[in-house]
Amino acid sequence: MKDNPLTSHALDTASGLPAIGMKTTLYRMSTDDTWEQITSQYTNEDGRLSHLLSDAEFTAGIYKLNFDTKNYYSKLDKKTFYPYVEIVFEIEKPAEHYHVPILLSPFGYTTYRGS
Amino acid sequence: MMAYILTLLCMAVLFLVNRSEHTTASAHKTMKDNPLTSHALDTASGLPAIGMKTTLYRMSTDDTWEQITSQYTNEDGRLSHLLSDAEFTAGIYKLNFDTKNYYSKLDKKTFYPYVEIVFEIEKPAEHYHVPILLSPFGYTTYRGS
Repeated sequence: MKDNPLTSHALDTASGLPAIGMKTTLYRMSTDDTWEQITSQYTNEDGRLSHLLSDAEFTAGIYKLNFDTKNYYSKLDKKTFYPYVEIVFEIEKPAEHYHVPILLSPFGYTTYRGS
Repeated sequence: MMAYILTLLCMAVLFLVNRSEHTTASAHKTMKDNPLTSHALDTASGLPAIGMKTTLYRMSTDDTWEQITSQYTNEDGRLSHLLSDAEFTAGIYKLNFDTKNYYSKLDKKTFYPYVEIVFEIEKPAEHYHVPILLSPFGYTTYRGS
């Protein structure tokens, strides 16, 4: 958990399996109100992203996680209602650990602040 | 006597048929010209999310978001009328819910400055319901009917 202050996890509740190989991009909002990309990665075989950013990079502010759901489902030959899923969240206490997962299916999704 | 009873029976049947047609017509009229609906429920309080600013956008041909309407959820957490059948074309839409201000009015903090749901409409002749179940540190959305 060390030097890994922000984690995410994508579970495909339609299949009951992790959402593997889904492109996920993390952004931080800049002082000029534009989105600055921090990293773009693919979820691993457990549906997780290995390391999004370090403690030093994790400053208070507004972040956005973009999950490329359309391409993920397209590789599974499935359609989805969502071209992508974006979760915008505010980090007030960067010393804490934040877990921002999604429970995903083709026509619905859930997200929450986890631990 | 028989004729009288038969007449009463016919009138009763006609009344009931007319009533059910009227109900169907009313229900249909409510659904008519309202192809996209939404509903915001605050699961932390168990109440509708009332007075939350909600903005609907459609993606333009140049890949920018074009605002269609901005409204506040009513006392049932619903938006009365987002757009008409004629305006509801196939394409990519976005609903933005101003969750931060909604919770701020309730003196609550939330993890989400706003919630945006981006969805694709392939069959605009169908009805689409895009609700959110919202709480300060989590939310759910799904395609409803």
